Amino acid sequence: MKIRFVAGLALAVLVPVLAYAAAAQKPLLDAYSVAAKAENTGFSGFSTERGKAFFLAKHDAASETPSCTTCHTTDPTKSGQTRAGKDIAPMAVSKTPDRYTDAEKVEKWFTRNCQSVLGRACTAQEKGDFITFMASL
Amino acid sequence: MPKLWSGLFAGAIALFGLGVLGTEPVLSANAGPDGAYVKECSACHIAYPAQYLPKRSWERILGTLDKHFGENATLSPAALAPVKAYLDSHAADSASGNARIMRDVGVNITPLRIVDMPFWVHIHRKQIERKAFDNPKVKNAGNCIACHKGAANGQFGDDD
Repeated sequence: MKIRFVAGLALAVLVPVLAYAAAAQKPLLDAYSVAAKAENTGFSGFSTERGKAFFLAKHDAASETPSCTTCHTTDPTKSGQTRAGKDIAPMAVSKTPDRYTDAEKVEKWFTRNCQSVLGRACTAQEKGDFITFMASL
Repeated sequence: MPKLWSGLFAGAIALFGLGVLGTEPVLSANAGPDGAYVKECSACHIAYPAQYLPKRSWERILGTLDKHFGENATLSPAALAPVKAYLDSHAADSASGNARIMRDVGVNITPLRIVDMPFWVHIHRKQIERKAFDNPKVKNAGNCIACHKGAANGQFGDDD
């Protein structure tokens, strides 16, 4: 009885917290969803798996930064490090809750890092997949 | 009489102290960097002191942000403008700069790294510094804060 109560209480607290975390990223994801539909009529929603694969993929546009993981490490719940030696807060929303809430900041870094790593701009779908993966961790 | 001697002694110590402090501005930037410059230019590295490079260097750096030491560090025109204004008014050869930082910088030379400035090379010429740069934790000589803990605030003295 007591265990059930504690578990129920934990759920009652945890569920709204998780929902809040996802809600904070929702406006930006909605905007990328609109843009993704405009780019591709076949678009049918963002994918955590595609986001993960994109994050881990190796590219050959630049020898200094072949992958997101070059600076962010393969574990988004851990801190990364810039090539100049400065710490980067974890990319996972669970660790850095204000990530992907400031559209201007997010666009600045996608603009820079997509060019640095892929040698091209990212599509709206790639951006949405990436954020969906980071919000799932 | 002993009072006079101790007073003179204290005075001499104070003067000596001032003399030592007097050399500090060469090592330390005049003031910590601030405003838009810090916001936009300290995400990947510390906001390097504007006073340690001439205006022409900062102009070249800001004009090539799409190829910034192996990474794209592009800024929107709106974000770039106040950064450029700050660097222009705080560069080594600006009114608020330090002429000694410009010593031995050829007029046709546009250094793109502070570590290529003659004043920097001179200060870091000793064996101990060269050894520190080989330490993998330091990564590279541009990682000032690895040794100078107050670097982000413009503090570069031996004890900072």
